[in-house]
Amino acid sequence: MTDLIDPALHTAGLAALEGALNRALALAPTGSNQLSELEGDVFALECTTPSFIVYLAPTDEGRVRFMGVHDGPVTTRVRGGASDFAALATSDDPTATLINSPLELSGDSGPLIRLQQILGQLDLDWEAPLVTALGDVPGHQLAQVLRAGFSWGRETGFSLTRQLDEFIHEEARLSPPRLELEDFYRDVQDLGLQVDRLASRLARARRRLDELS
Amino acid sequence: MSEKDTTHFGYREVEKNSKADLVAGVFHSVAARYDLMNDLMSGGVHRLWKRFTIELSGVRKGNAVLDLAGGTGDLAARFADIVGDTGNVVLADINESMLQVGRDKLLDGGHARGIDFVQADAQDLPFPDDSFDCISIAFGLRNVTDKDRALRSMLRVLKPGGRLLVLEFSKPGNELLNKAYDTYSFRVLPLMGKLVTQDSESYQYLAESIRMHPDQETLLGMMEDAGFTRCEYHNMTGGIVAVHRGIKA
Repeated sequence: MTDLIDPALHTAGLAALEGALNRALALAPTGSNQLSELEGDVFALECTTPSFIVYLAPTDEGRVRFMGVHDGPVTTRVRGGASDFAALATSDDPTATLINSPLELSGDSGPLIRLQQILGQLDLDWEAPLVTALGDVPGHQLAQVLRAGFSWGRETGFSLTRQLDEFIHEEARLSPPRLELEDFYRDVQDLGLQVDRLASRLARARRRLDELS
Repeated sequence: MSEKDTTHFGYREVEKNSKADLVAGVFHSVAARYDLMNDLMSGGVHRLWKRFTIELSGVRKGNAVLDLAGGTGDLAARFADIVGDTGNVVLADINESMLQVGRDKLLDGGHARGIDFVQADAQDLPFPDDSFDCISIAFGLRNVTDKDRALRSMLRVLKPGGRLLVLEFSKPGNELLNKAYDTYSFRVLPLMGKLVTQDSESYQYLAESIRMHPDQETLLGMMEDAGFTRCEYHNMTGGIVAVHRGIKA
C-alpha cells in the first residue's frame, strides 16, 4: 500500500493551492457568492502528465475544498495533460476550448464551465482587508499601489506580448504577419479557383475537339 | 503478576488496570501546551497528516462523526465544518484535561453548534449500536490499554458502511530514516518537552509508546480481526505516520 507520492507532500500542495484560492475568493465577494451556487458539485481534474488527481468541491460558504481523495459521486471529470488544463483555465471561451482540446470530459459540463467562469472573473478587492488592518489612509494608499501594480503588470504583459509579436513578424521576419499570411492564403485560394476554371475550359475545348473530329 | 494482567506503558510493563491512570497523568501534564508541542515536534506536518485523514474519511454534509481521543479538537473542528447544520460531531476523550482544552479551543474558535463533548473510554463507548457514519482516532490508539477491545467497540457504534480512520505513529520503511527518527525521538523530543512543558518524562513516554505500537501490517490485521472489511493503510512522511482505514460491512 505504497502511494506514488507521499500523501503528506500531495496534501501540502493541495493545502497551499486551497489557501491561495480561498484568500483570493475572500477578497472577491461576488465570486464567493456565485461559488456557493455550486455547493454539492465535485469536479475531478485528472492530469495524465504529470500523473495526479485533484477534486474541487465548492462549499456553501463560497470557498473551494481541494482534495486528493474522494470516494463519492463526481459531477464532472476532466482528463488530460497539464498544458491542456492550463489552456482551459485561461481560456476566454471555455466551452470552445473544452470541445476543441484533447481533454476527455465525462459527466455534466455545465457546472464545470460555470466554475471556470467564476474563477476567471476574480477581481481582487485589496482595499477592504488593508483598510481593516492598517487604517483608512495607509490602507487606501497601499491598495492603490497594489491596484496600480497589478494593472501595470497586466498592461506590461500585454505590451510585452505585442512587442514580441512585432519583433518576430517585422524585425526578425521569423514568421509572416497575420495580414500577410491571410493575403497569401487568399492568393492561393484565387489561384486554385483560376486553375479549376482553366481545367474546366480545357475539358470543354477537348470535348469540342472530340466532337469535330 | 501473570502475563495476561500486564500491558506496556512505554517500555515499562505495568498492570493493565493502572495504564489508564498513568496515561491520564501524561496528558494532564501536557494538555495546556499540547498544540504548541505538536507543532514543534512535527514542524507543523501533523496538520497535513490530519488533513489527509479527513479526505480519506469521505465525510459529507449531514453525517454523524465521532472523533475519539479527539484531544484539542483539530479533526472535530474540520468535521463540524463539513457536516454542517444537518450533521453532528462528537468529540470524545478519556482525559478530562484534554477535553477541557479542546472544548475551550473550539468554543473560542466559533464552533458553538454541532459539536458534543463526551468523556468516554474508547474500549467501552457509551453510544448505541450503529450510531456514526465515521469514527476517527488520531494519535490515540497507542494509549489505549486493550486495543482489540477498543476496535470492537468502534465497530459496534459504526453504522453499516461507516468508516474507521486510525491515524497513528508507525514504522518508517527506510532503515536510515528509522535511525534518524530514533535519535530525534529519544534525544530531541524529551529535551523539547522539558523546555516547553517542563516535563521530559511525558515525551520520553511518547517516544517509547510509539516504538511499542503495532506496525502497519499488524494494525491492519487487528482491524480485520475486529471485523472491519476493505482495510487498507497509507504511509505518510516515509511511514513515520500511517493512516489505516476500515469499513463496517
